[in-house]
Amino acid sequence: MTEPTPSDLLVILRHGPHGTNWLREGLDAALVAAAFGRRVSLLFMGEGVTALLRGQQAGPLGQKGTSATLEMLEMYDIETLLVEEAALERFGLTEADLMLPVRRLSAEAISRQPGAHRLVLTF
Amino acid sequence: MLLHILNRSPAASRVYQQALAAMGPEDRLLLIEDGVQGALPQLVRYFDGLQGRLFALREDLAARGLEGRCEASVQVVDVDGFVDLTEEAERTVSWY
Amino acid sequence: MATTAIARFVEVGGERVGLDPEGYLVDLGDWSPAVAVALAAEEGLSLTDEHWEVIDVLRAFYERFEMAPAMRPLVKAVGQALGPEKGRSIHLMRLFPGSPAKLGARLAGLPKPANCL
Repeated sequence: MTEPTPSDLLVILRHGPHGTNWLREGLDAALVAAAFGRRVSLLFMGEGVTALLRGQQAGPLGQKGTSATLEMLEMYDIETLLVEEAALERFGLTEADLMLPVRRLSAEAISRQPGAHRLVLTF
Repeated sequence: MLLHILNRSPAASRVYQQALAAMGPEDRLLLIEDGVQGALPQLVRYFDGLQGRLFALREDLAARGLEGRCEASVQVVDVDGFVDLTEEAERTVSWY
Repeated sequence: MATTAIARFVEVGGERVGLDPEGYLVDLGDWSPAVAVALAAEEGLSLTDEHWEVIDVLRAFYERFEMAPAMRPLVKAVGQALGPEKGRSIHLMRLFPGSPAKLGARLAGLPKPANCL
C-alpha cells in the first residue's frame, strides 16, 4: 500500500515531549476526535518525530511524559502514524528507534497529506 | 486547493519549511503577523516556487512599516481579501 | 496530578473518604474494593462479578496508559480482556447505567475520563 487510507482528521505534531505542551495538546485533540468516532491520522514532522522515541521517562520533576498516551492510541483505533522521513534522518533515527509502527513519508507524499483529509490541525 | 497560513518570519523560524513541505502544487500561502517579513525582496527567496500563490496581509505589513517594501510578485491582500482567500480554499491549515 | 478540594465524603467502614464535586476520589490512593462498594451503593448498584471484572480492566488500563478511557477504548479494552461478548457497549450500559466510562472510572477509583461525553 503506497497511499494512506484517507481519514477524517489529520493531526500534525511538530513538537517533542516535555519541552512544551504542544504534543500533549495535539494528542488530546486526536483522542477527542477518535472518541467521537472520527478516523484520525497523525503526522509527525520535524522535532515531532522525537515523540516516538523508545525509552522515554518522566521529567526530572516527575512530570508525566506522553509515551503512555502514544501507546494508548491503538485503544482509540488511531493506527495511522505517518512520519516525515527527512526528519527521521535529521535526528539520526531509524524505525527501530521508535516505539510504534509507522509509515515513513517522502517529501512528495507529505505534500499530498493535507489535501487528503477533511480537517487538518497543526500542533 | 488549500490555504496555508504562516505567522512566523522565515528569518527567525523554520516553521516555513514545514508549511512548504505540506503544500500541494495548487495550494496557496498567506503570510500574516511576523510571517509578512517573508514578503521582503531579501527574504522572499525562501518561498521560491510559489509565484502567483504567495500572499501577504496588508494590515500586518502596514503595522510593521513594511507596506510598499514587498517584492512585486507577492500579492498583498487586506482582511477582506483574506476572507476571500479563505472562501476560495477548500479549507485552511495554520502554521505557527 | 491535579489536586482538587474535597467537596464531600463517603463513609467506608467508619473512615471518611474525600470526593471531588463530581464524586471522583480526590486521592486515588484511597481506593479499595470497599470504597467501590460504597460508591456503587450511592448509585443504587450492588457490585457483581461482572462489575468487578470491568473494574479490574479499568484499573489495568489506567495503570498502563495513565488515563481513564473514554467509552470506545473502554469497550475495546473489555473486549480484549474478557472476550467479544462482553466488549460491547450494551453490556457496559447494563452494568454501569448512564455513562459507563464515567461511572466505571468513578467506582474503579480513576480520575474522570477526559475526552468523554
